[in-house]
Order: sequence, then structure tokens, then C-alpha cells
Amino acid sequence: MRRTVLKSLLATAVLAATAGLPAVQAADKEIVIGGSIPMSGVFAFAGIGIHAGIQDYVKMVNDAGGIEGHKLRYVPEDSAYKVDQSVAAFKKITSQNKVNFYYGDSTAFSKTINPELDRAGTMIMSGASFATELNDPKKYPYQFIAGPDYTQQFGILLRYIAKEKPGAKVAFVYSDTEFGRDPIESSRGVAKEMGLNVAIEIMTPPGAVDVSTEIAKLRRARPDFTIFHGYILGPIPEFIGQARQLGLDTKFMGTFWTMDNSTVMQMGDVAEGFMGVMPYNYYYDTATPAPMLDKIRAMRPEYQNVPYIQGFLSAMLYAESARRTIAAGKEMTAANFKAALNSIENFDTGGLIGVPITIHGNTIPVGRIYRADTKAKRMVPASDWIVLE
Amino acid sequence: MRIGTARSSYRHDESLFDSRTQHGWLAVLAVALLGFPFLADEYWLYLACLVAINIASTTGLNILTGYTGLVSLGQAAFMGIGAYTVAALEQKLGTPVLLNLLAGGFVAMLGGLVVGLPSLRVKGLYLAIATIAASVVLHFVFANWHAVTGGHSGITVAPAEILGVSFDTSFRLYWLFVPITILMVLGAANLFRTRIGRAFIAIRDRDISAEVLGIPLLRYKLLSFGLSSFYAGVAGGMWAYFFRVVTPESFPLIMSIFFLAAVIVGGMGTILGAILGAIFMTMVPEALKLIVGWLPLSADATLILSPVRTIVFGALIVGFLVFEPLGLQEIWRRIRRFFHLWPFRA
Repeated sequence: MRRTVLKSLLATAVLAATAGLPAVQAADKEIVIGGSIPMSGVFAFAGIGIHAGIQDYVKMVNDAGGIEGHKLRYVPEDSAYKVDQSVAAFKKITSQNKVNFYYGDSTAFSKTINPELDRAGTMIMSGASFATELNDPKKYPYQFIAGPDYTQQFGILLRYIAKEKPGAKVAFVYSDTEFGRDPIESSRGVAKEMGLNVAIEIMTPPGAVDVSTEIAKLRRARPDFTIFHGYILGPIPEFIGQARQLGLDTKFMGTFWTMDNSTVMQMGDVAEGFMGVMPYNYYYDTATPAPMLDKIRAMRPEYQNVPYIQGFLSAMLYAESARRTIAAGKEMTAANFKAALNSIENFDTGGLIGVPITIHGNTIPVGRIYRADTKAKRMVPASDWIVLE
Repeated sequence: MRIGTARSSYRHDESLFDSRTQHGWLAVLAVALLGFPFLADEYWLYLACLVAINIASTTGLNILTGYTGLVSLGQAAFMGIGAYTVAALEQKLGTPVLLNLLAGGFVAMLGGLVVGLPSLRVKGLYLAIATIAASVVLHFVFANWHAVTGGHSGITVAPAEILGVSFDTSFRLYWLFVPITILMVLGAANLFRTRIGRAFIAIRDRDISAEVLGIPLLRYKLLSFGLSSFYAGVAGGMWAYFFRVVTPESFPLIMSIFFLAAVIVGGMGTILGAILGAIFMTMVPEALKLIVGWLPLSADATLILSPVRTIVFGALIVGFLVFEPLGLQEIWRRIRRFFHLWPFRA
């Protein structure tokens, strides 16, 4: 009896050990996309969308025969939006697969993993971060952002404001976090160049709920436009609600992570007229021909959030970079992938972005201003596409 | 089986490892630790380094909370002090790695001594709140003392370098972190065979009685805070060399809760408890991921199971608190006790 138990224990241990060994993959003729995706934790709302976006694009490409005879393979791992777990996921995926492209979940992860990317020299990475710091091809040679960085997002908003109301008074309201502070310093100069007056800058503590003192400051400054940054939702509705009660006539604006349709509509009635910058077309945009959005809508009839579009576009850019590298007969290295990515000019994203895109540095400096229409429960375009030089 | 270990001298009675069986198992552990880096891939080496750092910090917190009975939620902030000290020294002065780690420990120790001052007047939950307040203050300092901390962007740390060898992979860092952690754990284990360690335990059990026995409370409580923070500082320094970017958001309050949970789950007031607790808290989320990965599920099922995994992790912690309040070390002790007489007892 004891021997039987021992034998079964041994068999279980061997099974467990072999299951833990690196999976032997068909290494050739495939392009691997790894990802530290925040499927759980505070950022899960974005991670779930990103995951679905990458997954759908990979499926679409593989169904169409792959890229120059190579199949795409997507290997995600949940990061719970924690740096140590994100790095663990990276180590796990890269030690078990020959990874060519990687999706990271945060600015902290992008900064932490950068030396690894430089040393490996085999993959390039994009991610959920739009941090201005990452838009430095010298410091981050193997990374890119699938959209405009935060300073460029502010630049697009400020350009819109300068056109709508030259010499307008602007307020910056931001959270006291790395995310919140990111574009503030650099955007002061941009505003000045455009002849705008930054009337006040208000920094709120992370997770602030009571904003009455900040509202009093905003009331004294009487800005024409107020730009929020460094938040997903709270305390923006409280801000707008109290400002409206005080009769403050200012237009409120936000940046990418506030601008998903569902996030803005969660604000309730105060969302009416809320504006912001969005580098992509929304899932439901049909004003201009967008074959890729048509395909997405055919695959997923229900609304897909903007992180989905971001994940989808990221995968598209990985694939395009790989396609150009393979077509040129070059080796699949990080340097060649990045050079191929930077050779993208006037590239048609199939309507994910309303204008053809060009990637010269680490970003795609394009965006459009949208305005909330609470009756239609949709974000509607308030400007044409704005491309920064 | 462990028999014939009658103690024949006080020296033997006081020894840390008192039987041949123990020495044998320690030798096995040493061989395993030496051989592990040559067998494991980058992922397991990364986890081993992370576990080593967490064991060092948890052991520190265990000195304060487990042995001295002073609850602290400031461990992550003290790690932050150590990490920033190491990062700043590495960036501005380029001083040797081991000196940087020691400096990280000592600067954190100074921080701990200051934060420990209220411990003479407040205990329990009140002290926990005081340490949270200290964390908030330290976070503010990290975020705003631009000249030293680099503000919100933080500091990028160059790889540790000793005698021309760059410690830039998990394999190499393993050889730096694991010996340091072993030294720290042995140091803590020995501490409780000295007057100081026994004074800590006396304070935990009843501080008024301890004072009556002639233990100066202020000195020993501060010493406990200082030692605990020193451990956190060195762990933070290792953390800085490991992740190579230190920002104010690297050491959130939740991280302090993580270490406190590790102490409680492992078993308060035991050296083994801190080790097991740190391993449990670090490895169980990864183990759950591995288990989910082994299941023949589609990528969508993985997505659905992600929050389930978090719930299972939480349930496991609660389960331990309810069914084994003495922690993992008690389970370990029971297993050991069973094998002491095995196979002679049915």
C-alpha cells in the first residue's frame, strides 16, 4: 500500500516537474508577441480590452495566412498591474519563447525592463504607457507608443484651444503622481508658444475626493478651458459638478485614459460637453470608411473600449514591422524591427486612426478632439484630425 | 528520524542547529541553493532573487512585529529609504556595492529610530497608524526632494558591479542576494539568543513587566525599530539593484501590508515563519498562475480565471489565519515532529 502511495506521489511529482519545464515551441516560421497584461487588479478594465484587441488582430492575421509565411503567436500573462509580477511575466514568457514583440502594462514596467530589452536586442516593445519620457529613441531605442505621448496629447488639446479661442485662459488640473505630473512642465512652454495663458495649475493628492478648495482656486482663475490629467474618472465628475453649481463657465477636457466612452458616460449628466483628445476612432465611428473597424464590429458586435483599439493597433504595428523586416530579407532583431517601424510613412490603419500615420520617433503624434453627447451616449468628433509635426 | 540527540552541554542546548539530522538537511539545502542557478531558467532565478529580497525584509519586520510586538506598516517606506540611498550613492558617488547596501541599511535605520520614537507612548493600532503617517511623509520626501530622489521620475540605477563583474542578470544577482539574505537571517536567528533578543521578547509579552525587570523600554523599542529598518534598508537596496529604477511609487502602502501579511501567515515571532511567509506571499500568486497555465483552457478562460486567482490567494490567507493561527511554521513544526519518531511510531 505504502509503495503504491509512494509511486503515485513520485508520478505526480514527475508530471508536475515536466509540466513546469519550458514548453518546446516550433521556433521557426512564427512571430511571437508576449505581453504583461493587467487582466486583474486596478487596471483590469484596460487590460481586458488590450488582451482582446491583440488576440483579435493575431487571429485575423493568422486566418489570412500569416505574415510572409510566418504565423503570429500571442503569449499573454496576467501582471495584476504590479511591476514585480509584470517583470516575472516577462521573464517567464521570454525564457520559454523566442519573443519578437512585447506589450508592457505600465510606465514603471517600461522603465524597469528597458535594460533587458537593450541587452536582449531581439524584441521591441510598446504598451499601455503614454509617458513622455518613453518618447526618447536614444534612451528607449526598442520601445514605442502606439499613439501620442502625454505631452503631445496636451499639444493637440492646446492647438485646438488656440484655434477655437486665441489667447484663451487655460487651467491644468492634475494628480500628484508620475502619471499626473508627466506633461505639465513641458506643456507650459507649448501653451505660451501658442499664445495661450496658463491661468492656474492645480495639483490634487492621489485619490482625492473632496475638491472644494481646488474649485475655489479654479473659480478665482476663471479659465476658459480646464484640462484634467492623471486620472481615470474620479475626481473629475465632482470637479465639473461643483464648478457648474458655482456657475463657472469653463470647458472641461481630458486625456486618453479618461476618454473611453464608458468612462465619460459614467460621469452622468455632468459629462455633457466634456471634451478630450483621442488618437483613435471609437468603435462606433462610421462617418468615414474604416474597413478595420467594420471587421472588429463583425467579430465583436458589442462595444469595445479604447484600450481594445490600442491593443489592436499595437498588434497591427508589430505585424507591419515584422512584415517589412522579413520582406527586406533582414534578420528578426530589435534594431531591424525598430528601423522597419520607423520606415512607416502614410500608413493606412484601416480607419483605426482617421488619417494615414507616420512613425518617425517613438510615438504617433496624431489625435482628434471629441465631445460627449450624453443623449446619444456617445463621443462625437469636435475637430478634424490634428497631426503634430 | 531523529533520535539520540540528548543535549549534554549548555553550549549544545543553545546551538541553532542541534542534531545531525538537521546538519544533514542543512547540507542538502546548501547543495540545492548552490545547484539551483545552474538548473533554473531566468524566470525561476528572477523569482528566487525576489524571494530573497522579500525574506530579508520580512525577517526585519518580524524582529519588530513578531518578536517585539510593535505593529508597523512602514516597512515598504523604510525599504524606500534604503533603495533611494543606494540609488543616489550609485548614481552620484559610484561607491562600492556592499558599502552602498550597508549605507542603505544605516540610513533606513536612522529613519526607523525617528519613526520609532512614538512607540514608547503608543501601541497596537495607534502605532500602526503612526507608521502609516511616517510612510506618507517619506513618500512626500521621495516625490519632492528632486536633488536627491529625482522627483516623480525617480532614479535609474546602474547594475551592481563587484571586481569588474556586472550583476545585470538574475543569475548573477542570485549570487549576491542569496548570501546576503542568509547572513541577515542567521543574524536575526542569533539575535534571539542574546540579551537584546530576549529583551525584545520580554517587551512583546508584557512591556511593564519588562521594565520592572530592568529593561529600558525606550532603548530597546528604538533598537528594535532600528534593526527592523536596517533589514528593510538593505532589502530596499537589493530591490534597487534588482529593478534598477526607483520611483516614489515603487514602495506603496500595500507593500507594507504584504510584509505584515507574510509575517502573520508565516508565523509571528519565529525565524522560519518569516522565511515561509515571504515564500508563500511571493510564490503563491505565481504558483496559481502556473496551475491555471497547465489547465487546458483557452486564452479567454485565462482572462476569466485571473480575478478568480486573486480570490483564491485571498481565501488561502484567510484560511491560514482561521485554521492555523500560528502560521506556516507551525505546520512545518508538526511535520517535523511526526518525522522525529518515524517510522517507529505509527
